[in-house]
Amino acid sequence: MEQASSDLEGQLQPAPLEPLGYADGELEAAVGEKAEGAQEESSGLDTMTENNFWLKKIEISVSEAEKRTGRNAVNMQETYTAYLIETRSVEHADGQSVLTDSLWRRYSEFELLRNYLLVCYPHIVVPPLPEKRAEFVWHKLSADNMDPDFVERRRIGLENFLLRVASHPTLCRDKIFYLFLTQEGNWKETVNETGFQLKADSRLKALNATFRVKNPDKRFTELKHYSDELQSVISHLLRVRARVADRLYGVYKVHGNYGRVFSEWSAIEKEMGDGLQSAGHHMDVYASSIDDILEDEEHYADQLKEYLFYAEALRAVCRKHELMQYDLEMAVQDLASKKQQCEELATGTVRTFSLKGMTTKLFGQEAPEQREARIKVLEEQISEGEQQLKSKNLEGREFVKNAWADIERFKEQKNHDLKEALISYAVMQISMCKKGIQVWTNAKECFSKM
Amino acid sequence: MAGGPPKALLSSGPHSLRDMPHPLAVSSSEEAVGGDSTPSPDLLVARSFGDKDLILPNGGTPAGTSSPASSSSLLNRLQLDDEIDGETRDLFVTVDDPKKHVCTMETYITYRITTKSTRVEFDLPEYSVRRRYQDFDWLRSKLEESQPTHLIPPLPEKFVVKGVVDRFSEEFVETRRKALDKFLKRITDHPVLSFNEHFNVFLTAKDLNAYRKQGIALLTRVGESVKHVTGGYKLRSRPLEFAAIGEYLDTFALKLGTIDRIAQRIIKEEIEYLVELREYGPVYSTWSALEGELAEPLEGVSACIGNCSTALEELTDDMTEDFLPVLREYILYSDSMKSVLKKRDQVQAEYEAKLEAMALRKEDRPKVPADVEKCQDRVECFNADLKADMERWQNNKRQDFRQLLMGLADKNIQYYEKCLMAWESIIPLLQEKQEAK
Repeated sequence: MEQASSDLEGQLQPAPLEPLGYADGELEAAVGEKAEGAQEESSGLDTMTENNFWLKKIEISVSEAEKRTGRNAVNMQETYTAYLIETRSVEHADGQSVLTDSLWRRYSEFELLRNYLLVCYPHIVVPPLPEKRAEFVWHKLSADNMDPDFVERRRIGLENFLLRVASHPTLCRDKIFYLFLTQEGNWKETVNETGFQLKADSRLKALNATFRVKNPDKRFTELKHYSDELQSVISHLLRVRARVADRLYGVYKVHGNYGRVFSEWSAIEKEMGDGLQSAGHHMDVYASSIDDILEDEEHYADQLKEYLFYAEALRAVCRKHELMQYDLEMAVQDLASKKQQCEELATGTVRTFSLKGMTTKLFGQEAPEQREARIKVLEEQISEGEQQLKSKNLEGREFVKNAWADIERFKEQKNHDLKEALISYAVMQISMCKKGIQVWTNAKECFSKM
Repeated sequence: MAGGPPKALLSSGPHSLRDMPHPLAVSSSEEAVGGDSTPSPDLLVARSFGDKDLILPNGGTPAGTSSPASSSSLLNRLQLDDEIDGETRDLFVTVDDPKKHVCTMETYITYRITTKSTRVEFDLPEYSVRRRYQDFDWLRSKLEESQPTHLIPPLPEKFVVKGVVDRFSEEFVETRRKALDKFLKRITDHPVLSFNEHFNVFLTAKDLNAYRKQGIALLTRVGESVKHVTGGYKLRSRPLEFAAIGEYLDTFALKLGTIDRIAQRIIKEEIEYLVELREYGPVYSTWSALEGELAEPLEGVSACIGNCSTALEELTDDMTEDFLPVLREYILYSDSMKSVLKKRDQVQAEYEAKLEAMALRKEDRPKVPADVEKCQDRVECFNADLKADMERWQNNKRQDFRQLLMGLADKNIQYYEKCLMAWESIIPLLQEKQEAK
């Protein structure tokens, strides 16, 4: 295992970083043995470690959502939704699943988990959470977080998130993730105790790096550009889709008025009456069919949204690379300047401006002993710096290698998922067309009997 | 034609039209489109050919309107063709070939009117003249004047009020042409109106203006008398059937008005939907440019949405050009029918007044005075004409609306079929496994 710069990191990245080859997003997670060097277990789910199996499968589902009230950090009453997470282990022999864990979590805990993963696995494209607030809504859809449809879609999104994490070759073996599924109480404290927040890069630092890095890996630059474009195009798509849904809703609903007027008209007609009346009924059916159609389409919108948010995760990996690269470049620069300083001190020539040089000029030369001492310090620093540079270099290359591997995995997943999404969208449209043909054919039949 | 009654005035006298064989009647009891089993006593081959482009048996073709060759519309066309029994029809009129004329004073459109007839009233078997809207308007007024006891079909609206409609745009001209064609065909199908002198002149005269300038009022006997009926007589009691017709027309016009508004609203919503779709499709294209493996699928979806947009545009165009005008026509029709009903009321009122006056005079006359008798004649004539026309109108209305609404359903079916085809064709593209690049 690579020796990372701190012990803390060592504890959080227990296993080697190569992917295990479960690169396709299957729904059942392959959960391996407990991380090496991890701290003591909490809920002692012995089935996970007892036989040292790699292939014990578990199923995760977010099966329910419940409104709750409680007191928050500032002791104010608040209403929130809690989600029930159930974990089942599937025995190989008979395929039966046994409920092994079940606990309630709220959205903020999911967020905490994700933030933790982001910090501890910066080379991984971490799966995104479903949106916190409803965006890209078309007018009929509620933007209210408490709306049952929104809650339901969020439940599915959260389940999807957990399944994505569980099927990721690296993330699935994280202990905190495991505890998230199994340890209801004290989980928040456990996460915070890892001190991962300290490891987080400051946003300012990251931004700085973006602008000042000189030689980032070209692939990452291109990838960042791609993720920006992807985010922009999917946002646009979602916005227009919402407007399209709105308009389509209007078209269908206005047809309902035909139902009413045909009915009224049929009252004054003799032979035409029946035909008109029954045709009117079909118009009513047509008008009400749009509700289900658009509900199905929301599922497609959610699939797009997931990749909209994935674009952000992709960008985060690129930024991490830029940061590391910038760090490296700074370290190189620093080392070079120290070496130069040393040289200048040793040879006595002052080639570059330095404060020491100035003060020497102003206040007289320093004693040889002082100079010797300074040279010694510098030499120590240089040696340390060279060590650090070596490890930073190694770290950087390791990061690039691992990140790129995960990016390739992500690309495959993305292409597969989005193709599936487009197919299901086309299928939805086909179904809508068929329904339309059916209704109008029925109406035509009624008209023909007029 | 001065003075004498027009030929074949079948409706004078109290005989019900039911008893007389109708010149245009088909001898069998086949109904028109749909094969319904309700026999009508007075069978008429009085269909309106306006909407679908039918090939007439004598070779006259209306100005080309292309309907998409979907199976449903094809069937409609064929069914109507089967109904035409060339043997009993002896007058065929078509309006087509609109042309723009640019003169110093004005610009206007003329339409070619082709007439084919074996009737003795026509000197030649075939005529072809050009007429403009003004001429149709003139014809209609003349018919109203000379046949006040009959229902005269409506003309399309004279002035275009809505928005900035181009009087010379293809769509507008075509819509108007269809309506004018229908107008003439309705007259052609009418057993009395089709023999009207003005109608004959309209169809045959080389120079209609000269004839119009003559300004000779050629009125029928009944027409003359009805023309001089002034208002001011109070009606005692309207016969039940005419009261019922009046009420029916009121509600009918109301409902049509509502349907017109709904249809307009639908078109508006569809156009707004179309606007969004036209923005939606290209975004997939933009996305496609970013991708590798997904490029083709995304581009395919973009093209698909484009096809659906085109189909939608065709639907809204059809609705505007074919559906709305016919609705409006019928609203105009009901309006003009209401005024004919009013006139009838007036004639009856005058008769009642005269009857009352006669009773008051208490003269011992052996028989009723001539002028009162004339009034009674008028009333009975009017009632008979009106009843016959109403029945004819009801039948035509039923045919027209059946055809109109089936057409509406058809257009929507075609729209969905086009979209279905587009989406189905893209599925294999989406499912295609990409070869390793």
